[in-house]
Amino acid sequence: MWPRTTRDMVLASVRYLTTLVIVMAISASGCVVVKAHERGNLAKRSMTNDRDAGETRFGQHATGSREGADGGTGQPGGGCGCN
Amino acid sequence: MRLQLASVVAMLSLTATAHADGAVSVRGVYYKERATRVVQPMLDGTFDVGTKGIVTAHFLVDAITSASASSGADNAMPFTENRYEGGASYTHELDSLRLSGSAKYSTESDYISMFAGIRGELDLAQKNAVLGLGIGVSRDTISAGSAQGLATPMIECESGMSKTECPLATTAVFASASQILSKNAVVAITYDVSGLKGYQANPYRTALADDGIAPERHPNWRLRQAVAGSLRYYYPRSQTTFIGAYRFYRDNWDINAHTPEVRVIQAVGRTADAAVRYRYHSQDKAVFYRDRYSSTDITVNRYLSDDVKLDTFTGHLLEAKLGILGEAFGMSGHWAGARFEGILEYVRQQNRFGNAIIAHVALTVPFDY
Repeated sequence: MWPRTTRDMVLASVRYLTTLVIVMAISASGCVVVKAHERGNLAKRSMTNDRDAGETRFGQHATGSREGADGGTGQPGGGCGCN
Repeated sequence: MRLQLASVVAMLSLTATAHADGAVSVRGVYYKERATRVVQPMLDGTFDVGTKGIVTAHFLVDAITSASASSGADNAMPFTENRYEGGASYTHELDSLRLSGSAKYSTESDYISMFAGIRGELDLAQKNAVLGLGIGVSRDTISAGSAQGLATPMIECESGMSKTECPLATTAVFASASQILSKNAVVAITYDVSGLKGYQANPYRTALADDGIAPERHPNWRLRQAVAGSLRYYYPRSQTTFIGAYRFYRDNWDINAHTPEVRVIQAVGRTADAAVRYRYHSQDKAVFYRDRYSSTDITVNRYLSDDVKLDTFTGHLLEAKLGILGEAFGMSGHWAGARFEGILEYVRQQNRFGNAIIAHVALTVPFDY
C-alpha cells in the first residue's frame, strides 16, 4: 500500500536524463545537415505545429481530467479542479 | 464575459508597435461525457514586439454544467460553475538562442492555480537541431464546498491537519531535442519530470470500505515523469504528412502508462487540409487504489481513493479535423489568410467516466499593425 520510494524515482529520473543527454549530443553533432533552402517541406504547417495553442491546451486539460498519467507535453498542467 | 474578452483585446492592443505581425484566434469547444458537459470559449493572441520579441496571451472560460463536483464519482450532486484562465508569455530571440517566460492564472470557486515558467531553446548545426530546457513552478489552493453551495467545510490537508484550504506546490522540469533527418523528416523527443507536494485528493469524493465510507486520503508527494518521442514525415507526391508519437509515463504511485498516437494530414489543394488522428492510452493502477477497501481505519489503509483515473484502464480517441483558408471562399486581404477549423473527437474509455465527444470550431485571423 506504500507508493514507490522517491529515491527509486530520482534514480530513474537520472537514467532518463542521461539517455536524453546522449540523444541531445547526437542531435547536436549535426550528423544530418539540411540547408535552409531545402527546408520548404519542413516549414509546412503540418510539419511544424499542426495544432493551435488552444487546441493543444484543451487537449491537455481534457486528458488530465480523465487520465492519471499527465505529462510528456513539455508544459505543466494545473488549475483544473478535477483532481 | 464579452466585457472581459474585450478587456483582454484592449490590453493586448497596448503592446502593439508599428509594422509588426500578429494573429488572433477565437475557438469554442464543446465537451460531453456521461456526467459532465463543458463549453469553453477561448481567445488567443500572438503579437510581434520589435524585431526579436513575440508576445502571446490567452483567456478562456470553462463553463461546466450538469457535472458532479467529485469528478468521476457515483451519486454526486450536480452543479454548475465557471473556471476562468488567463496567461501570457514573452519570447526573445538572441541569434541562435530563444528565451521565454510565461505565466498563467486560473480560478474557480474551489481551486486557484498560479504558474510561472522560463524556457530556453538553442539552435544547433545550422538550425538542424534544437535543444530546449525549461522549468516551471505552480502554486495551487484547493478548498471545498463552494461548488456544492454549502459553507466551506474543513478538508484534511495532511494526516491530522484539517483546514478550509489546502496548498499544492508543483515544480516541473522539461527537456526537449529535435533533429531534422532529411528534407522531409524530423524527429523529436521530450522528457518531463514534475514533483507535486501537497493536497492531491478530491475534497468531494469518498472511498468505499467494508466498514463504511471515508474522505479520500491520497499521498501528499507525487513524482511524475514522462518520455515522449515523435516522428514527422512529409510525402511530397501526395502532399501527405504522417506523424507517429509515443509517450511513456511513470510515477511513484506506481502508475505506468503507454500512449501511442498516429496522425495523417492531407493537403487539399493550397487552401485546405484534412486530418485524422488515433490515440491509444493504457495505464496501470496506483499502488493504493482499490475498488473497495477492507477498512477506513488509517492504521489499516493509510491511503483511500475513489479516483478512477488511478485505476487500470484503456482508452481510444478518434479525431477528424478540417482546416480551410479564407482564400477558398474568395476572401481577400487579411481574410484570405484566415483559417477556419473544425474538429470532432470521440473518446472511448472503459471506466466510470464513460465515453466522450469533443467538438471544436475555430477562426484564426492574421494581421499587421
